[in-house]
Amino acid sequence: MTYPERDFDDRMSTVEFRVGDRPHITVDQDVCRSCTTQACVHACPANLFVPTAEGGILFNYEQCFECGTCYQVCNQEGAITWTYPDGGHGVVFRKG
Amino acid sequence: MLVIAALRWVDPRPGVDPLTGAVHTDPKASGPSAADECALAHALRIAGPGRCVAVTAGPPAAEGLLRDALAAGATDALRIDDAGANTAVALTAGIRTLGPPDVIVCGDHSLDHGTGATPALLAHAFGAAQALGLVELSMDGELTGLRRLDGGRRERLAIPLPAVCSVEPTGLRPPRASLPAVLAAQAAAIPVVTVDSGPSMVQAGEQKPYRPRPTHLGAPAGDAHHRVLALTGALTERTPPRVVRPASAAEAADELLDFLRKHGFLEP
Amino acid sequence: MTEFDVVVVGAGPAGSAAALEVARAGLSVALVERGPFPGAKNVFGGVVYGRVLDELIPRWWERMPVQRWVTRRSTMVLTPTQALTVDLRAQDWGQAPYNGATAHRSELDSWLAEQAVAAGATLITSTVVTGRSATGVRTDRPDGDIAAKVVIACDGVNSFLAKEAGLFKAREHNTLGVKETLALPRAVIDERFGLTGDEGADFEIIGCTGDIPGGGFLYTNKESVGIGVVLELDGLTAAKVRPEELIAELKAHPAIAPLVRGGELVEYSAHLIPEGGYRTMPELVTDGMLIAGDAAAMCLAAGIWLEGVNFALGAGMYAGRAAAAAIAKGDTSKAGLAAYRTMLENSFVLGDHRRLRDMPGLVLSERVQRRYPGLVCDLAQGMFEVDNAQPKPGLRKLLREARRTHGVRVRDLLRDGITAMRSLS
Repeated sequence: MTYPERDFDDRMSTVEFRVGDRPHITVDQDVCRSCTTQACVHACPANLFVPTAEGGILFNYEQCFECGTCYQVCNQEGAITWTYPDGGHGVVFRKG
Repeated sequence: MLVIAALRWVDPRPGVDPLTGAVHTDPKASGPSAADECALAHALRIAGPGRCVAVTAGPPAAEGLLRDALAAGATDALRIDDAGANTAVALTAGIRTLGPPDVIVCGDHSLDHGTGATPALLAHAFGAAQALGLVELSMDGELTGLRRLDGGRRERLAIPLPAVCSVEPTGLRPPRASLPAVLAAQAAAIPVVTVDSGPSMVQAGEQKPYRPRPTHLGAPAGDAHHRVLALTGALTERTPPRVVRPASAAEAADELLDFLRKHGFLEP
Repeated sequence: MTEFDVVVVGAGPAGSAAALEVARAGLSVALVERGPFPGAKNVFGGVVYGRVLDELIPRWWERMPVQRWVTRRSTMVLTPTQALTVDLRAQDWGQAPYNGATAHRSELDSWLAEQAVAAGATLITSTVVTGRSATGVRTDRPDGDIAAKVVIACDGVNSFLAKEAGLFKAREHNTLGVKETLALPRAVIDERFGLTGDEGADFEIIGCTGDIPGGGFLYTNKESVGIGVVLELDGLTAAKVRPEELIAELKAHPAIAPLVRGGELVEYSAHLIPEGGYRTMPELVTDGMLIAGDAAAMCLAAGIWLEGVNFALGAGMYAGRAAAAAIAKGDTSKAGLAAYRTMLENSFVLGDHRRLRDMPGLVLSERVQRRYPGLVCDLAQGMFEVDNAQPKPGLRKLLREARRTHGVRVRDLLRDGITAMRSLS
């Protein structure tokens, strides 16, 4: 018997996130509109970045693994501002 | 005035074995639910500079929750070590050691399959007014609460003291603890009250696999030959079984529908 | 202001080892962790090598929370339809004093931090260090400044403290690790991987990441397996493939699929790995601050190795000792703390990294990633293929054909061989 690959939302539902009030990622839309690669869209393992029809980037911070991939692959200086979430908030891995 | 925050120590994401249903909780990741954080925030606000005690019934690992409450501003804390299974009885016994409470605030129900009965049982035990499932709670001379009703309406309640209030998780959190407060809370001694609230008052039946009762069938009459025939059903008329091997799922469905129609289970 | 002799930022293996050594030296130490408990933010490729703990915690193997002791260590080379495995089984590794163990970081890191706390360290969780101040560090709590004579930065691969201090000379070289933990019954894992009791298996895999330089891993826990891929960020960006799709491909490979079939996903996770090794390490010492663990790129992810926790423990231990010694002497400047670097160089921490400094580049090179897996698999297949009527081809002919198919020049083969031999000898 084979099992189909899980839906991405199901995949993310296996991880605990203690969501803080303050977004720890911010994206400068003006910079993103001029970005041709938009590497963050493919590289983010949590799929947090979604391109919009206007060429910008829609993002959410709630289900962030806090890995840092997005700001390291971002080739546009300063488009993604990334800090750690406030203490005690964010992802909680149990089986890391 | 004595304000109590009665908090439940619970793992927000326990592991459940899909086969046996056994639940695994992780003490490291356990803490208050969102509703209980909200309850603590309300209790701290209501108490103002007065006495606010964080109370929980749980094992020694639950003291982490109480230390966090102390760091956030609770004046003292109490852990109830309960050998039994009646949370409300244990909480009542523990809270009585603190003196007569004016306000007890709880989360609306605990995450681990709670029914939300504990606040009501506490109100009964202390002869207090109860206001459950509040979205707002404030102390401005008198205690008032706001409760959601059907159809988007709200009702505002004036709550007489003493009172037991339970609050919904509305995103209100206790203030972020300062670093000196965290360090002081780590060093604080947490008093423990040991009680035995007895076995659970709700008795669930033992879990067993489904076993239908046997029905009694009388032995057939007659000589041995007839009895064997009756028991084996060898000469009784019946529809012979038929083996079909439909090629596709659609053909199999047609076969089934034909069978049901033929035997009068479906309209022809 | 809150005052300690030493403040350790990050309660991972490096931080806990550092705090343990400082506390044992009789100094006050704060161990600051941004997660709700140590290990909550951490993910790894499954195996911890605890030998360095001999110096810190006697008979650590009796108390450390491990899942399984690794007795089977396999290195796999994959092409889409082939797999060549070097499979080592060492029963010695299944008994004291053991070698490697699989573990969950939430359990392992919490246990390590408990050892530091038992020695007298103060663990402060749910607190982010936001930067250095004139006297120590600032945190995100009200009145959160901590004064300390020495700061030990063990704040992980994204180390904002090392970046703030400008310690990185080279560009950071990080890879992304993504992992799935799949639940399987214990008996099924034992049967599929050929294990009994507490024995565990650990597979390192090359050639499973398509056009993206990287690798894969598969290891066994008690009642789950961890499977994941490690991806170079530049390659991932260029390939425009999503990380979880690569895990799905690896899980569907004919050599891997029977091992993980039917596993129920219990956690999906991701973390960056400082895979650049020795050449990308930042400066390890500056005035009043030491860097250890992932923050100092002390991760050996060179193909057939996947180590990091052991280096973190070692570096943390030496950082703790160096900090305590510098405070005792009253000189916590860069010169006063320089003993840290010397201790690391005389130990396995920088010894291994320096010797294997060329390996990360070699393993992530285009040839090792895309040409050699096909080359060795074709070579092995040619050796064992029975093509009767025709006599068996000689090894030289097979090599020549495989080289031609995969476009490998003798010159490159020799050069890479020499690089590898020089690193290993």
